[in-house]
Amino acid sequence: MDVELLTPTPETTEAPRPPSPSRDVAGFVVRRLLHLLGLLAGVALVGFVLMELSPVDPIDAYVGGDAVRLGEQQREAIAERWGLNDPPAERLAHWASNLVRGDLGTSTIFNAPVTQVMGQRFTASLALLATAWVLSGVIGFALGLVAAANHGRHLDRAIRWTAYTLASAPTFWVGLLLLTVFAVQLGWVPTSGATPIGMDPAQATLFQRLHHLILPALTLSIVGIAPVTLHTRTRALEVLGSEAVLFARAQGDSGWGLIRHRVMRNAAVPALMLQFASISELLGGSVLAEQVFNYPGLGQATVRAGVQGDVPLLLGIALFATVLVFVGNQVGDIAQRMVDPRVPVLGRRGRR
Amino acid sequence: MRSTTLLLLPVLLLIAACSGGADSPPTTTDSADSPPADLRIAVGGENPEGYDPTLGWGEYGNPLFQSTLLQRNVDLELTGDLATDWSVSDDGLVYTVTIRDDATFTDEEPVTAEDVAYTYTTAASSGGLVDLTFLDDVTVIDDTTVEFHLERPWSTFPARMATLGIVPAHLHGPDYGREPVGSGPWVLERWDEGQQLIVTRNPDYYGDTPHFDRVVFQFTDADATMAAARAGELHLASVPLALADQDVEGMELVAAESVDNRGLSLPFLPETGEVDHNGQPIGNDVTSDLAVRKAINYAIDRQALVDGVLNGFGRPAFTPADGLPWGNPDAAFEDGDVDLARQILADAGWQDTDGDGVVEKNGIEARLEIAYRASDLDRQGLAVAVADQLAEIGIEATPKGMEGSESFAVAPNQLVVFGWGSHDPSEIYRLYHSSLAETDDIYNANRFSDPYVDEQLDAAMADMDLETAYHHFAAAALGPDDHGYAAARQAPWAWLVNLDHTYLVDECLDLGPLQIEPHGHGYPITEGLSRWTWSC
Repeated sequence: MDVELLTPTPETTEAPRPPSPSRDVAGFVVRRLLHLLGLLAGVALVGFVLMELSPVDPIDAYVGGDAVRLGEQQREAIAERWGLNDPPAERLAHWASNLVRGDLGTSTIFNAPVTQVMGQRFTASLALLATAWVLSGVIGFALGLVAAANHGRHLDRAIRWTAYTLASAPTFWVGLLLLTVFAVQLGWVPTSGATPIGMDPAQATLFQRLHHLILPALTLSIVGIAPVTLHTRTRALEVLGSEAVLFARAQGDSGWGLIRHRVMRNAAVPALMLQFASISELLGGSVLAEQVFNYPGLGQATVRAGVQGDVPLLLGIALFATVLVFVGNQVGDIAQRMVDPRVPVLGRRGRR
Repeated sequence: MRSTTLLLLPVLLLIAACSGGADSPPTTTDSADSPPADLRIAVGGENPEGYDPTLGWGEYGNPLFQSTLLQRNVDLELTGDLATDWSVSDDGLVYTVTIRDDATFTDEEPVTAEDVAYTYTTAASSGGLVDLTFLDDVTVIDDTTVEFHLERPWSTFPARMATLGIVPAHLHGPDYGREPVGSGPWVLERWDEGQQLIVTRNPDYYGDTPHFDRVVFQFTDADATMAAARAGELHLASVPLALADQDVEGMELVAAESVDNRGLSLPFLPETGEVDHNGQPIGNDVTSDLAVRKAINYAIDRQALVDGVLNGFGRPAFTPADGLPWGNPDAAFEDGDVDLARQILADAGWQDTDGDGVVEKNGIEARLEIAYRASDLDRQGLAVAVADQLAEIGIEATPKGMEGSESFAVAPNQLVVFGWGSHDPSEIYRLYHSSLAETDDIYNANRFSDPYVDEQLDAAMADMDLETAYHHFAAAALGPDDHGYAAARQAPWAWLVNLDHTYLVDECLDLGPLQIEPHGHGYPITEGLSRWTWSC
């Protein structure tokens, strides 16, 4: 690890820049967009094929088991309404052609446009996802730095031990534990929902919202804390062992000042990458967290769509999640490049 | 029940066991002296596609917002709701219904025969969960009289009239399900999808005024419901049988009887060499022998199933309609009789000659499979327990968990754990009439046929007098000689148990007398919502 890394000069940032950045930016964006389109097509195809192969019969799921007085004729009528009588390839083509026109179709279980269902659900999830995301980043990064600063001591060991435990604990299990202790036994927070039961959600105060948010957000953030902590710690230890830090120590830097000025920016690189890459895990975790806390968000809708074979809704959510994760990864890339000037922003590694 | 929920159950049980001595949590409910401003209940009842009866809302329990032509009282007798009078023509093809003239929708428009006709024709053609395929045409005679013309006699049509809520023709459209307007006892205040439904009393309702001003339905799964009940946030909560014996402070357990039954379908035909539309072979050479079907029925100890699998919450089942007006109490018998079962098998030539513990006849070993929906703990428990009981009489039955519709699909050829139980007697027709054995329908998938049963069921469906129709349904169980659907006759099913539906109810909430509930644990209890009172 060399000194330039820690104190980048303006020259090193400018040097690898190509002559005409604007054309490069355009090319970069186009390449990435093509990449995204290919990815979306792949996700849609795989998703559709998986749903076709799934043993779940959407009509059985809609009818809700065995004890409903429906004859075969009526089941035919339901299949007709949902367009399930056409061959699979035709259905996929139909769906894709509608998609190009911006129509994601109609959710079979909600009997409403997929975009409407997703919009409504995602709005509810957004607060949860954002809070959990920020919490996991901030807590994870802070714990990593504290552990590195206390390398080898009890505090370091305690933090590592906690991180390993969190990394191996399933979200729903942690959620249930938190629910039992804080909501049922201590009664500090409500057991479920996003706003108080029996009340118009629009009337809920900010405090009430946070009160309902805190437990699910904490549960969900646990997914992301451990990797950020452990990577930050490792990177921070590397930096702390570098000659630059030795030099800084020799100059009299120590304690928080040393961490803040010499270590933090460096250690932030893997943390940032992980943080943006963790959006996929966050979405996955939200399915379980929302289930445990009965939080009426996108995760809950995903479970329903999967369990009841709602193909349009599930594909819609899959595409949406793909875009979200893709954008997250891109932003992570760019952010990393901005923090760590050795990485060229536009991804032309060959020129280095 | 969703599979994630089931994963959580053991954890919750453990936690609950550990937390027995915890201090009582703070309650958010009102003081015990007066009825609460909101009645808070968690019994399910969210209809994701909206509250539109023409798509199937209200099939079970209370349509809340809409009123129906007829209704069932606590003894399950049909009485008038919107209808003041109803009659049927001699050929059973024309039903004439007169409706009251003082009912209004909550937008103050009167409920007319037009609305009734609109509701039935829309429901028939909408491709939803309302099966009106026997309905030919609906004619409006005048403002308060409507005629239903049936394609074939369908004596249980009045049962349909007790569940289909009437919608206003002038307001009904694609968005109706999310903004329901009706003439029922409750008005939608708000519906936050996935979270809650809030209803308030309809001040203009023509019927008895409900005791509560506002009811909040909380949509939580089993774990969250239990947590909310323990936290004192609920007045009524539907709890799974496995959790029903837990004490929750301030609440008591109500176990409602039901015909939510579980039974094993027994393939009726010998192997035919043919396959059905799923590619499933039709017929089974073991269960096609009446002796095997009877032996299975007599060997099973139903009370042991209730105690062992259902935590004691249930009763033995002998027909799909135990305790209903169209059921046959004489179909019950002394079960758990292993000796008798062995005797029946031996008399028919089933013997264990090769000493492997499994009986055989003409080179065919009595090896069977019991398919069940893997996500349903009760069905799994029943399948496993029945397999153990059958092993005692030398019948090897291997439980096999599958996805729900997959398990139902194997019925032409193997044993399947089904669950039925309806307030509509046509279910008996669908389960046992031979015309359904020819189809790929989920009904009569084990392909039972008996001319005597057909005769009784046809008579039942064609009889204009409901009492006589019920009598025919009951007679189909036990006919002369070997005829009938009961275990003592053709035994096409081995009925196992009727589940109790268990609810935690606030000590102050008085539910009054309860109906024998149909299939579906949870929402059906709201049938009596308008009669519930606060007794503190």
